[in-house]
Amino acid sequence: MNSPRELSFSIRIRAGNRTLVDIPDYSLPERRLMILFGESGIGKSLINRAVYGLLDGDEFQATINGQDAASYTSTPWVRSVQENGFFVFQEPSTHLYPLLTLGEQLREGSLKDSVSEDAILGELWSGTPTARPSSLLGVYPKPYRPSGGEKQRMLLAMAFKKIDLFLARGEAELPSLFLFDEPTGSLDNRFRDIVLSMLFDRYRRMAFTGVVVSHDYSLISMIRKEHKDLAEAVVFRELALEKSALVLRKFEPETYLGWLSVQHPPPRSPGGRQIARIESDVGVFHRTLTIARDREGSVPAPLVLNQGAMTYLKAPSGTGKTTLAKMMIGLLRGERFSMTLGGDTVGVGTREEFWRKRVWGKSMTMVFQHADEALNPRSTVFDTFKGLPTESMPTRDWVRRTLHELFEPDMADEILEREVSNLSGGQKQRLNLLRGLSLETGLIILDEPLNGLDFESSIRVLDLLRERQQRGNSILVISHNEEIFDSQVGDEGIYYLVQ
Amino acid sequence: MKGEKLAARPDLVWLLVWLAGMGVLLLWDLAFLNNPALKRLLNALFNTLAAGLTVVVLALLLGWACGAGLYLLERRGRKGVYLTMTFLLNIVRSVPQIVGILAGYIVLTLLIEREVLVGSAALLFWMSAIVAVFVFLDIADLVRGRIAQFAALDFYPAMLCCGVSEARIVNVEILWKNSRAHLLHAMIAVFGMAVFLQCSIDFILSVGLSTEVSASNFPATLGGLLATMDSKQDILAVGTILTDPAYTPQLFFRHLQGLSVAFALIFTLLCIHTITAGFVRRRRL
Repeated sequence: MNSPRELSFSIRIRAGNRTLVDIPDYSLPERRLMILFGESGIGKSLINRAVYGLLDGDEFQATINGQDAASYTSTPWVRSVQENGFFVFQEPSTHLYPLLTLGEQLREGSLKDSVSEDAILGELWSGTPTARPSSLLGVYPKPYRPSGGEKQRMLLAMAFKKIDLFLARGEAELPSLFLFDEPTGSLDNRFRDIVLSMLFDRYRRMAFTGVVVSHDYSLISMIRKEHKDLAEAVVFRELALEKSALVLRKFEPETYLGWLSVQHPPPRSPGGRQIARIESDVGVFHRTLTIARDREGSVPAPLVLNQGAMTYLKAPSGTGKTTLAKMMIGLLRGERFSMTLGGDTVGVGTREEFWRKRVWGKSMTMVFQHADEALNPRSTVFDTFKGLPTESMPTRDWVRRTLHELFEPDMADEILEREVSNLSGGQKQRLNLLRGLSLETGLIILDEPLNGLDFESSIRVLDLLRERQQRGNSILVISHNEEIFDSQVGDEGIYYLVQ
Repeated sequence: MKGEKLAARPDLVWLLVWLAGMGVLLLWDLAFLNNPALKRLLNALFNTLAAGLTVVVLALLLGWACGAGLYLLERRGRKGVYLTMTFLLNIVRSVPQIVGILAGYIVLTLLIEREVLVGSAALLFWMSAIVAVFVFLDIADLVRGRIAQFAALDFYPAMLCCGVSEARIVNVEILWKNSRAHLLHAMIAVFGMAVFLQCSIDFILSVGLSTEVSASNFPATLGGLLATMDSKQDILAVGTILTDPAYTPQLFFRHLQGLSVAFALIFTLLCIHTITAGFVRRRRL
């Protein structure tokens, strides 16, 4: 395969006096599929919206290749891209129009000409309780119905219909661009694989330009294993800050694969004291959840958390992993729950006073999965550590030292007095983790700790977790990054939650 | 550029308009209003504004303490204290503000008669305290609303799990860091309400009560001044221009006391309203 022609863009986006994005060279390989990684909040979505001509509004002042957004959007290239391509937004609710049914939107404009709808819907809904989503087609999108996963599948169905229309024209040279901004964020790994296979199958029929924005580095292994023939067609790149400048750089798959190949779970310390034990039968929201040793739930077992060990709890999205974690830390009372914590047995009747005096920040803590919501946006980074039950009031030096565990020293100094709302998504996630990990609690529950992090930050987090294990902390991880955490936790530390 | 910046801050613009309007009024009165009336007017204006500010401070303290206190009592399961406090507050809520404040003034009157309360500063404070009791519930409701809104977000339980005390989460993280703009908005509204209520009550008192304990005992406010015979005649003179338009210029020279009081009151309330509206728009509350 010849090296691709690059579509180059110089992009600057401002909101008021603030520069949000300034990247002099953002390039897309033409008629290739680019997988774009990068820390959350670094500007991936904004840049791609700018390229696609979607920043022509009052909210931003964008300059693309020297043109203002309005002039850029009216260029023939952008008009052709918008006519022949598709943009799958990260948050499906923002893409769908609430005054049209899903069915009407699925057949809107040129999409009505596509004949592949049934096949696409069948593939996207295969193996779900709704075998065929015909019942959904008459529904108007609302915030809580259909579910996030159903909305995301519907958007993907539109995108695949549009690709099929493009392929049917057979004009490979026609400017087009198919952008998928975290297209499987609400779906589990099985559906991620289905979606990518659908995309790659279409690419094999005729090459087109596509971008998939993702944080999921295990895509690399999946593509290498199951789509070897596309090794050259799929290009991995990463948006990163280099000396405070935003750059797009190559991401060598071997960086991830090489790292993964040398990962081995640390041997489980035989003398590790039991920190907590959660009985396998859990009842909450009138549902029964079972903690088990196998994916099917045929071998129920109590979840045992030992000192100095990392334990990994797996389950498909929506099963109730976070719910169980919230029950463990006393934020939710279910119908059936029993846990031994230290010498105490706690259950659904345990008074909140117990959690307040003995558990929260003392024997156990939990790091929530959405850093955006878990941190006070109006606090400064320094203030985020105030009020924690540390031995003494945190000083600036103490906070700086804590930040150095996951931030470069100059960056730590720079953000110390910055408001949380002004941090990038990845920075927020690192701060969220550090707040929990800075406590001297025996047990730390981490809900999706690698959310929104780039590869470099993920490795730093994993190193930090290993260091905490060595200090004697027990760590319970809930994560969809199976490939990564399977490499960190041995079989004896892996549990499944089954509904 | 400066003009653009100012246009984006309508609350500041209206504060400047109020200052300018009151400045023009003062200059006009300095030039044309007789000295005793001018002194009475300035004294009443000062007292009204001071009482309004005192009401704001007291209502904020009461509202914050009750709103946050009730929430924490409920969370800690102190049902007895929580229900008693809620019951008492609901009793206050059920009393019409004017009636409640008039009842409070009766108590003040008794205290003045027995010479327990002496000195205009002390009187002004207790007059404000009575008004504050009947307006602070708006701030208490706002405080509870803000806490409820944030308690539903992840950041509240996330901080709890890290061992941060609920008192800190409520008072510092929610109310201080995330609700100052909302509280300031409520305070501006309370100030307007306080000026309005204070003047209404003083007007009623000055017009309707005995002369033994009346405006001469209570510190003068704009409401009280408006009820004096001179001011009432000035206001009535406005009606003259309906039959004799040529009399209009005379209003601005011969009937200044009443007109100045009325202007200061209406203009202040109008500006408070627009300052609040501008503030809400600017901070997107």
